[in-house]
Amino acid sequence: MMMDDDALDRALAALPLDEPPADLQRRILARTVYAPRAAFLGWELWLVAIATALVGWFGWLLLSAPHAQERVGDALARLVAVSGLDSMNTVLWLAAGVSATWWIVQLSVPDRRRRIEVR
Amino acid sequence: MGLALALEPPPVAPAPVEDQALIAATLAGNGEAFGELVGRYQRAVYHLAARTLRDPTEAEDATQEAFFKAYRALQSFRPGAKFSTWIFTICYRLCCDRLARRKRLSGDELPDRADPGAGPALLAERNDEARRLRAAIDLLPEKYRTVITLYHLQGKQYDEIASVLNLPLGTVKTHLFRAKEQLRKALTT
Repeated sequence: MMMDDDALDRALAALPLDEPPADLQRRILARTVYAPRAAFLGWELWLVAIATALVGWFGWLLLSAPHAQERVGDALARLVAVSGLDSMNTVLWLAAGVSATWWIVQLSVPDRRRRIEVR
Repeated sequence: MGLALALEPPPVAPAPVEDQALIAATLAGNGEAFGELVGRYQRAVYHLAARTLRDPTEAEDATQEAFFKAYRALQSFRPGAKFSTWIFTICYRLCCDRLARRKRLSGDELPDRADPGAGPALLAERNDEARRLRAAIDLLPEKYRTVITLYHLQGKQYDEIASVLNLPLGTVKTHLFRAKEQLRKALTT
């Protein structure tokens, strides 16, 4: 006897769903919401890798050049001379400036709202 | 006091939280909300994968993968859409990928794995109606099997089925008609 459309629909509606494995939900959650957070995001890893590669390449260029150590030494000495760091006066003024900045940051007046909250 | 008691509304179970609210809570960092979504749909998603792939291990993997993809793409979920349709679509695409890979690896033209034991002889021996129906569904070609499985899961929401399968509504109705015809023939005693 041929089954009619309604009977088939009823049979389909009554058909139990396949039972998933008992720990499926736990495994799904372990892969999603409870997955350990990556230390770096994807783009951060790319950035670090590219920066490392550039530094490596630049270092290799410097070291592989003839008389590399002398040239790097000369360049550093020229940089110090140009910036005036070979003068004691410049170094002292620089130290005073850094020190004053640090003290201003430390001694700045706390804002009024925070003082009220503390009270 | 008696009057007050009589006027109190009967205790009712709290209304289930809408899927949209659970999605919003998940996006706000509430892991339990996603757990609730998984609890609601894992069985249906697994059922779809199991019926499409006819392999419990692969169905399990596809279900995990579907929820993993859904979780990662939750930001792109369109407000107002149905989560069930979305997760079924993801799951169905993953199943299609797996079927295509299986076809490539096996090198033959069969669209999916041979049915593990639910042949016509075994089908005839099965007395239980549900088992017979399930076996008959397993014998359907993949396109009809998926339509009938989604019809089972989604009810008569043809537009949702069409959306999951990315097929025109007319094609879905035709597939469903033919699937039912084949099922009726298989189940006729």
